[in-house]
Amino acid sequence: MNPQEQLLVALQDLDLMLKETEDSREELSRLGFDVSGLEELRRARLHLVSQLDRGNVTHYENILKRYGRAITPVTGDACLGCFAKLPTSYRSSLYEGKVRTCQSCGRILYYPE
Amino acid sequence: MKVEDLLSFFDPKHCIFELRASTKDDTLEEIVDLIDPEKDGTNRQIILDMLRNREALGSTAVGKGIAFPHGRSLVVSRLMAIFARSSSGIPFHSLDGEPTYLFFALLAPPQDRSNLYLPALGKIIELVREDAIRERLMQAENFDQFTAAMREGKQS
Repeated sequence: MNPQEQLLVALQDLDLMLKETEDSREELSRLGFDVSGLEELRRARLHLVSQLDRGNVTHYENILKRYGRAITPVTGDACLGCFAKLPTSYRSSLYEGKVRTCQSCGRILYYPE
Repeated sequence: MKVEDLLSFFDPKHCIFELRASTKDDTLEEIVDLIDPEKDGTNRQIILDMLRNREALGSTAVGKGIAFPHGRSLVVSRLMAIFARSSSGIPFHSLDGEPTYLFFALLAPPQDRSNLYLPALGKIIELVREDAIRERLMQAENFDQFTAAMREGKQS
């Protein structure tokens, strides 16, 4: 995973935490958890975004709006978001350092190591 | 969720019966080090950042010497639970201000179709609320003794 992909995955993890905290606040409180630091998380998100290329952030935000989640894992050279077959060349060094996206749905691709 | 279902998420390789760590951050690092230690470190960093963010949201040390670091990450492929213990206790910003001795970390992928993550977390919390189980967990020396202690729960 290149540094931009790593930051994008961290951003999605953080967005998921923010959403789950907002959606399950009552249940988390009932389990005894303090979830009062949402502002802290939002600041962490701003810091993450500041480290990403602007184009990657724009693409991430657009896909997030469309599908609810912007990054999807790849299994067997298929996008797990739309199940489209992906070029095998995506695994080659040609794409080293680049953020790969599904040509069919536009989701950002995560290749598990 | 039954105790047996919960225990299926634990693994003998994902248990630490004596943490080396003495600080909150070192504890999180030691816990994350248990997962795929041969990988290149990228996933480790992502999981660690996620757990640190979760602690920034609010400490997962709910008191009575127990903490539940938890969260979801794309780099986690299945629900997994980790047990760790410190016999001397670790300052973990717990809600009661006391040191934390028992750690149950729960990591889940974003797609959790069976929705097991929060029920699993709830089940662990329910079990370790019992003083007798916490006492047995403090004494456990291996994975079998750990699972035996967990099976003592009321709802087994």
